[in-house]
Amino acid sequence: MALRGALSAAGRRWAQQRLCCTARGDTIFAVSSGHGRCGVAVIRTSGPGSRGALRSLTGRPELPPPRVLALRRIRDPATAEPLDRGLVVWFPGPQSFTGEDCAELHVHGGPAVVSGVLRALGRLPGLRPAEPGEFTRRAFHRGKLDLTAAEGLGDLIHAETEAQRRQALRQMEGELGRLYQRWSETLTQALAHLEAYIDFSEDDNVEEEVLSQVDAAVRALEQELGAHLQDGRRGELLRGGVRAVIAGPPNVGKSSLLNLLCRRPAAIVSPVAGTTRDVVEVSLNVTGYPVVLSDTAGLRDATDPVEREGVSRARDRLQRADLVLAVLDATAVPAEPAGLGAAVGSLVPPAAPCILVLNKADLLGGDTGALRAACARGPPVPPATLLSCKTGDGIDRLLELLGQQLAQLCGDPLAGSPSLTQSRHSQHLGDCAAALARYGRHRARDLGLAAEQLRLARRHLGRITGHVGAEDVLDIIFRDFCVGK
Amino acid sequence: MSCNPSFGGIGKGHLVREVDALDGLCGRVCDLAGVHYKVLNRCKGPAVWGLRAQVDRGLYRDNMRKEILNTPLLTVHEASVEDLLLTEPEPDHPGKCRVRGVVLGDGSTVHTGSVILTTGTFLRGMIHVGLEKHPAGRLGDQPSIGLAQTLERLGFAVGRLKTGTPPRLAKDTIDFSGLEERTADNPPVPFSFLSKAVWIKPEDQLSCYLTYTNPKAQQIVQDNLHLNNHVRETTKGPRLSETLYLYCPSLEAKVLRFPNREHQVWLEPEGLESNVIYPQGLSMTLPPELQEQVIKSIRGLEKAKMLQPGYGVQYDYLDPRQLTASLESRLVQRLFFAGQINGTTGYEEAAAQGVIAGINACLRVRGKPPFIVSRTEGYIGVLIDDLTTLGTNEPYRMFTSRVEFRMSLRPDNADARLTHRGFEEAGCVSQQRYEQAVKMKAALEDGIAALKSLQFSVSKWSQLIPEVRLSSSRRSPMSAFDILQYPEANMEILARAIPEPLRKFAKWRELSERLKIEAAYEWCVVNQQEEIEEVRQDEALQLPEDLDYFAIDASLSTEVREKLSSNRPQTIGAVSRIPGITPAAIVNLLRFVKNKHRKAEKLKAFPQTDKYLPGKMYSEKAASQTQISAELSEEEPESTFVKTPV
Repeated sequence: MALRGALSAAGRRWAQQRLCCTARGDTIFAVSSGHGRCGVAVIRTSGPGSRGALRSLTGRPELPPPRVLALRRIRDPATAEPLDRGLVVWFPGPQSFTGEDCAELHVHGGPAVVSGVLRALGRLPGLRPAEPGEFTRRAFHRGKLDLTAAEGLGDLIHAETEAQRRQALRQMEGELGRLYQRWSETLTQALAHLEAYIDFSEDDNVEEEVLSQVDAAVRALEQELGAHLQDGRRGELLRGGVRAVIAGPPNVGKSSLLNLLCRRPAAIVSPVAGTTRDVVEVSLNVTGYPVVLSDTAGLRDATDPVEREGVSRARDRLQRADLVLAVLDATAVPAEPAGLGAAVGSLVPPAAPCILVLNKADLLGGDTGALRAACARGPPVPPATLLSCKTGDGIDRLLELLGQQLAQLCGDPLAGSPSLTQSRHSQHLGDCAAALARYGRHRARDLGLAAEQLRLARRHLGRITGHVGAEDVLDIIFRDFCVGK
Repeated sequence: MSCNPSFGGIGKGHLVREVDALDGLCGRVCDLAGVHYKVLNRCKGPAVWGLRAQVDRGLYRDNMRKEILNTPLLTVHEASVEDLLLTEPEPDHPGKCRVRGVVLGDGSTVHTGSVILTTGTFLRGMIHVGLEKHPAGRLGDQPSIGLAQTLERLGFAVGRLKTGTPPRLAKDTIDFSGLEERTADNPPVPFSFLSKAVWIKPEDQLSCYLTYTNPKAQQIVQDNLHLNNHVRETTKGPRLSETLYLYCPSLEAKVLRFPNREHQVWLEPEGLESNVIYPQGLSMTLPPELQEQVIKSIRGLEKAKMLQPGYGVQYDYLDPRQLTASLESRLVQRLFFAGQINGTTGYEEAAAQGVIAGINACLRVRGKPPFIVSRTEGYIGVLIDDLTTLGTNEPYRMFTSRVEFRMSLRPDNADARLTHRGFEEAGCVSQQRYEQAVKMKAALEDGIAALKSLQFSVSKWSQLIPEVRLSSSRRSPMSAFDILQYPEANMEILARAIPEPLRKFAKWRELSERLKIEAAYEWCVVNQQEEIEEVRQDEALQLPEDLDYFAIDASLSTEVREKLSSNRPQTIGAVSRIPGITPAAIVNLLRFVKNKHRKAEKLKAFPQTDKYLPGKMYSEKAASQTQISAELSEEEPESTFVKTPV
């Protein structure tokens, strides 16, 4: 039957591939132990570059014996900076999970170590982060996938891609997502106009000036991408981190808290209730974790339409927060646990991780013992501290609480692995920028080659923002130009 | 050629080259019939060059007829086909019945191993001019009604498409003096790999002329929409309004979508001796007297005489997702479709399908595996994969932007991509063409090896070839192949500097040109190789043709199952091109294929008999007849195997 003939042809190809499986192709890497808090993280590579990668990261010319665990110091080959001490395994193809040369690095599971190793791998020539399901597909292509193994793997990959999709969606809602989306639209439009010029200009009304517009768009995008990649490497401005939201009634000192934490007057503060109306956002590095901190309008039933919009935005942020800093006026709260818990409960969505900040502690005077005891009580009171934004008293305790919460959050398997996503993103953005630079080089000589660079750039960006097919490009062409015969 | 008097163009020229590489006829016949040869996109790089020619209708018809009638073993029979002869299906192929012949208009029958339908616009064709409409496949020809009913009865999903043709003008009534002239190339570039030159002397070629519409034409169109059935239906139709007429818009569509601007009108000669001018861009369906008004409003055409009005055609097409990649229908075994019946527009798109349907109709009768061109191998592959995987809801036209591997799939190398396979797997390529392709391939390999072996420092190269400006920043040595990428470099310059061993390559003009192109694209082609490999691997993973996606035991969402079921992808590669299919769904399908594959391997351990040995049921002659019929159909898509009497 047809199926039999077809599949046996496929079978022949598999056999051929098995013979030459390590001869060519790029090398992929990814964390394969799942995301989140764990003692040990396993980072896996597959492809002909695995051998070189293992040598580079262990700094030794010899490989460990096949399929035997070996203890090695792992360094970043670019800087020689030690990243970790961990176990490495060498699986020469075809006796490996994917059938290709594979290596595994079993390192400590902290986000810094994992992202450090991933960054180091990403800088090696010929290595790139794996796309969802790619290890399995490679294993499949080499005829390595055993059915019972596949059964489990399919579910795992399903979970993996679902998690990544959620993660991607979450990021896409933020500033970063909007930025990528805008780039994607700019690039798709530029590509479509160039494609129109190639497919139509001579017979139709596609004017020469389209080209200079494409040039300008590409140049601007290239510069913006370059700046972004530079920026992303600096610690303080790490983006896409934990979204912490400061919330509370009006005039309790929310904006003062934001200014205190970022050590500059990022938000306007005044004694007038309702000063903050829009969401003010700053990126922070808190005990090594990237945090995007938002100050929001005080929560009350506002009458002024602008303030009402501010309150609605504040509630929207609260719903999407990873961590809430609930701020209350220390002089106006009940000094007993049940009352405190109720006050927080009226502000914060249930189940959201939360820190309670009792501000204006400097105005308390006299006896603060009952309030301190209530703070230390635990549920229904969230982790809490007294603070004076005016004097700075209590800030150390707040940072300590923040650090604990962030550690817990970043280790939470549900939060996904921002470091993995980030390293994938920056790699794709880097490749995108490189392709845009090549566009300029080809532009005068060969428009086809120049367009190819835009297609490549689009493909790299598409790994972050989603695929754009030929039909989408044609849609833009026929929307913007009167062409066809 | 029943519509425009031209062949090729951007993207379409690629198709003609590929058809020629498989020994299809249209390229060769165009080289015997063109009156104006022009390579479009000359300054945009050889990957997107568009070979194009204005073709003399009469010469094309005569030369094509001569080729066909002189084809050995081919019997040509001209008649209308009214019905199909059907019989029991072969048990282990999908399909509810099998075709075994056709019934002609006079009631007689022709028995055959396979049938290719290339009905053009004839299936329930309906011509519209103004408010009038009448059944016709094209002006003066009866439509095909019986066959359309048969296909519908068999359960084929049928859709309706529209197309149109402009009025024709008398050349001697046009004032060309103030118009922009476009002269032909000198020397002309032939379509066929076999043609050393085209038939016409370069200086004897005719020119085309460009003029523009103005607000007056727009006014006439807008004031008379109520007199224009074809356009009214297009703009009011519930589903058609947005997509229809984008790729081949009528003047009305252009004016409505992009008002208040000039629209180009190319005045193209219909032949060397012909007094007919084809005004490309003026396709319209207004009543004839209003068409005359539009024409007279255009510069140069103030006194032009309209020889024949433009008109619209609406016709049946079949959802091409009902076909396999070999263009055989899944419903009726051994019944193949090619051309406009599959929802495409253009001679070149039709020819591309014709050659593939023809080859496969023949291979099928001989019991051989199908001949499929992959997306990674040719524009033909992109065209057929797009049609059979994604379907289409307006006449599908080839664009280079549809092609993922545009840098590799160039007009210059179509022979290297397809001729060898055509000879070895399909048996459709002549010995002469095959030998020429083999020779060229070997010469290219030798040339590239020789160029790569010549390595010097940048300063040494600057001495050797001062006419090429090199960037001096490079420290590592450069090969002659690297040098050849520079715009000013060519084989002649290189051979002058280094006669040994380059002189022998430089002497061969075609080879020199191809070597330069290879050098320019090497980086891109090498870079794409990995991706190409990935696509090929995915395309090698076939999905069973009769898979019931709602029944299979795989973890797939209902939405994904619906998409798979309506698009019927044949390979994992095709699955990944369907919008909205997730990576997880692909992996789950992979698992399913793997499972099937194992079972199939087990089955293979048992001896099997081949039920379709050639000669058992059909003579060798019948088989080649099928093939030739297909080749014929690829050249004149509107008027062949399924034919209404002329």
